Amino acid sequence: MLMHVINMEHDVFKANDKIAEKNRKKLDKYQVFSVNVMGAIGSGKTTLIEEAIKQLKEKYKITVIAGDVIAEMDSSRFRKLGVPTIPVNTGKECHLDAKLVEKALNEVDLENTDLLFIENVGNLICPVDFKLGEHLRVVIVSVTEGDDIILKHPMIFKTAELAIINKVDIAHAVDVNAEKMREDILSLNPDVPVILTSKHDWESLETWIGFIELGLKKNAQ
Amino acid sequence: MHELSIACEILEQVKNTAAAHGAIKVKHVTLQMGRLSHTNPEQLSFCFKAIAEGSIAEDADFIVEMVPPSLECECGYTGAIDEKQIQESSEFTSELLAYIEVDKECPICGKQAQLAGGRELIIKSIEIETEDDLTADR
Repeated sequence: MLMHVINMEHDVFKANDKIAEKNRKKLDKYQVFSVNVMGAIGSGKTTLIEEAIKQLKEKYKITVIAGDVIAEMDSSRFRKLGVPTIPVNTGKECHLDAKLVEKALNEVDLENTDLLFIENVGNLICPVDFKLGEHLRVVIVSVTEGDDIILKHPMIFKTAELAIINKVDIAHAVDVNAEKMREDILSLNPDVPVILTSKHDWESLETWIGFIELGLKKNAQ
Repeated sequence: MHELSIACEILEQVKNTAAAHGAIKVKHVTLQMGRLSHTNPEQLSFCFKAIAEGSIAEDADFIVEMVPPSLECECGYTGAIDEKQIQESSEFTSELLAYIEVDKECPICGKQAQLAGGRELIIKSIEIETEDDLTADR
């Protein structure tokens, strides 16, 4: 019997990052602008994506990858708006990873897509470690989650490229200060744009949609 | 809970490497886990043991070394974070937040340094048992 130590140095997350890079290259080849939408269950991910689709679908060709434990429910909401939607059932998994997105991308008509929304599984923890190849990492948090939610989940806000505080119209009812939430986000990530939104406030939705459109235009340059 | 799928990936890599080196048993699996990653070492160890049953790594000791992030400044300075400060503030807040909020002033130029690393999950090495006298690849 002999004992050997074998050095492996295999980084599990890097393996994911490599596939994410491949995804990114593929998206860039077809000039698709991709948005990874993360946030807790019930934060309003599906609703905010729906609002953006309604506004942008005449101008741009949009596709959605809808990741969920059971993805069909959200997918049917997107299909109702007439955009191609690929449901990705993660089963017991709590996040999308680059491999799942790689597989889903095979089903996307990339030549006929300008904008790809990737709705992640409702969760503020697990999606953080897994890049997908996206151009924009968005995190949505709703005031109903309580105003201490941000400092409890610092990494997702620290790594986000756009942060949205949603349902601000009911902040008072749930005794939450949305401004404190904004300050907490900025304390973790001083340069991140923060948007306060409400489904019932059209102007706030326009800001969110405008941000996406800006990304689309920059990506096309 | 994503520890199970990560454990599957680790077992797969360990089995492949063990087979490539003619192992009859895997005795140790050593991981390095960044303190800023969202993986729980106890859960990961539990999942690994559960799925390794009946495999070559069945009796392997699963060792997780936690790796803290370090500081990196644009002036070129790199250095360790004061772990004492982290421990102290971890009593009042989460460890994640303690690292993010720790004083990052660069001792060389005085600017704010950035956190570097601490998010990895690396299968560092395995220790295997072989029957024959193999010249172990390094």
